[in-house]
Amino acid sequence: MGNFFNFVIEHLAQFLQFTAFANMTIGHVIMICIGLYFIYLAIAKEFEPMLLIPIGFGILVGNVAFAPGYQIGVYESGSVLNYLYFGVLQGIYPPLIFLGIGAMTDFSALISNPKLILIGAAAQLGIFGAYCLALALGFSPTEAGAIGIIGGADGPTAIFLASKLAPDLLGAIAIAAYSYMALVPVIQPPVMRLLTTPKERLIRMKPPRVVSKTEKVIFAIAGMLLTTFIVPSGLPLLGMLFFGNLLKESGVTKRLADTAKGPMIDIVTILIGLTVGASTQATTFLTMKSVGIFALGAASFVVATFGGVMFVKILNLFLKEGNKINPLIGNAGVSAVPDSARVSQVVGLEYDKTNHLLMHAMGPNVAGVIGSAVAAGILLSFLA
Amino acid sequence: MIMRREIKHFLYGIAVLLLIVAGTSVAKAQNASDLKLNEILVLNDSNSVDDFGMHTAWIEIFNSAYNTVDMGGCYLTDDLSNPTKYWIPTGDPATKIPSRNYMVFWADNHPTRGIFHLNFDLKNAKTIAIFNADGKTLVDKVDLPSEHKPDITYGRPTNESTEWVHLEKSTPGANNDYTKKKSAGESFVEFDPYGIGMTMIAMFVVFMSLAILFVIYKNMGRFFIRRGAAANKPVQSEVKVSAKHSAEEMSGEVNAAIAMALYLYQSELHDEENTVLTIQKVSRNYSPWSSKIYTLRKSPR
Repeated sequence: MGNFFNFVIEHLAQFLQFTAFANMTIGHVIMICIGLYFIYLAIAKEFEPMLLIPIGFGILVGNVAFAPGYQIGVYESGSVLNYLYFGVLQGIYPPLIFLGIGAMTDFSALISNPKLILIGAAAQLGIFGAYCLALALGFSPTEAGAIGIIGGADGPTAIFLASKLAPDLLGAIAIAAYSYMALVPVIQPPVMRLLTTPKERLIRMKPPRVVSKTEKVIFAIAGMLLTTFIVPSGLPLLGMLFFGNLLKESGVTKRLADTAKGPMIDIVTILIGLTVGASTQATTFLTMKSVGIFALGAASFVVATFGGVMFVKILNLFLKEGNKINPLIGNAGVSAVPDSARVSQVVGLEYDKTNHLLMHAMGPNVAGVIGSAVAAGILLSFLA
Repeated sequence: MIMRREIKHFLYGIAVLLLIVAGTSVAKAQNASDLKLNEILVLNDSNSVDDFGMHTAWIEIFNSAYNTVDMGGCYLTDDLSNPTKYWIPTGDPATKIPSRNYMVFWADNHPTRGIFHLNFDLKNAKTIAIFNADGKTLVDKVDLPSEHKPDITYGRPTNESTEWVHLEKSTPGANNDYTKKKSAGESFVEFDPYGIGMTMIAMFVVFMSLAILFVIYKNMGRFFIRRGAAANKPVQSEVKVSAKHSAEEMSGEVNAAIAMALYLYQSELHDEENTVLTIQKVSRNYSPWSSKIYTLRKSPR
């Protein structure tokens, strides 16, 4: 009988060793708190709930401490989470998200006022500003490239590039990119106000002209060919973006476009959010490098906003009165669609209740998507 | 007439497609064109041993493609006048060479020892060649030097090299270039430690890409505006008529209906329900249990 009780106690003790309580570290607790905070931000503050809920919950999933070797965690070969994470590691999910983005993006604002495209290029300064800073802080070139792309304010592009250049930092980079995308309304306005004069903030822009279907179709095809001919390494992202857009604009593939911008992008968003969140296991995530990545991410957003706004101010020097651009749309050159365009609108309305900048800001905003994908292609060409 | 033209276009399309398929099938059958002879050992005294523990001559083949290539069906020979001397069996998974990987054949003249043992040796070989599955298309060949030192291999110094030399170190089944190399990133940073060069180049390329789009769309926009203006320019007499028609055809109710339809479509009403179930109490002054009409069938009229 005594032996039996010993047997039961031994096995209970053994079972306790397998529970999360026994394997928990302070790092896991911190990460669970971060996950809960993300979920709180998403539900209570409605900051990017589509991203922060899956990522926040993924952080909880990834930080339930377990005894290794049972094919549970996202990093254990053969586990279910590992299979789902494969799409992140191999850069499969980001192009699929770009397909959906293409299918839901209307490039009319851009086509009707093509000079806004250039703002999307100027705002990519954030990427290379962060790259320089990362090099100065001692990150390796590939790590610096992967960190720099946070400045593009484009989650899928950041994941795509990080999976190719610095897979070890993927979790931290993805979390930083998505967090700062959600914080665009907090980061950008002070920089915009600092760089603009009251007179500039009141500039009214011409309403965009109506764009024909033919122009939109040509844009999807010519845009893909031109950008990928220059930067072929951006093909997975740019090819899918413009393909999705062609599905939308052709008008004859409505079902495909609906699927791309609806169920498909939803499924991929769920998978990418959950697995990226789960990849932030405290054991691999809580390092000084992650802290550095977060600091550089914030800096990159500031530099990107600076680049966009300053470029508009410089451009205005060469434009005639009446054709000038409101520099408050310069921040929208980063590709956080449509959040940064919304920031332009909100800040613009603070100074003139009748000056709606949203439609104008959408131009540089979608150009930013193209610009950041091109920038990712360049970094991949030079550093991979 | 239109049907005829469409059929003509369709037939042209098919013809072009067939030409492309035919062209690529000759040039890229099995992708074997990506195979390269990479390293050869003629005199094996104390070098690698085969799966029978024998020191025999060997031939290493490199798959330079970025996809798996199946060597099954191809031919290896030491005699160009007999290109089909050794046929590599098909249908064997072992003959598939993964991307940028290597495969070693033992030139021991013992083909009964397995598919990687050739039916010739290299004692008197002057040339080694790979032929495609058709037995005619030469994939790669190398002329061997007249003299060989024992255990010294003859091969390409690097995977991409077209030159063949005697190698200091034999590397069967591995890269011939074993020297430590800098990654692309390391090489880049060596000349650009602060990232200024990268910033300049990359911003130039990003600007150039989007500037090209800008130029094209600026001009295309002008073209479409001009074309639209020309197409929409009505004849003077038509202006009054069309204005009258549109006023008559588009009543306020129609506009309101269109606006409502658009509003409903854009706000996607009914796509998302609030998922709240409400139970409305149905008041009845009688109970079916107490009423005979619910228990009896109605009498036919």
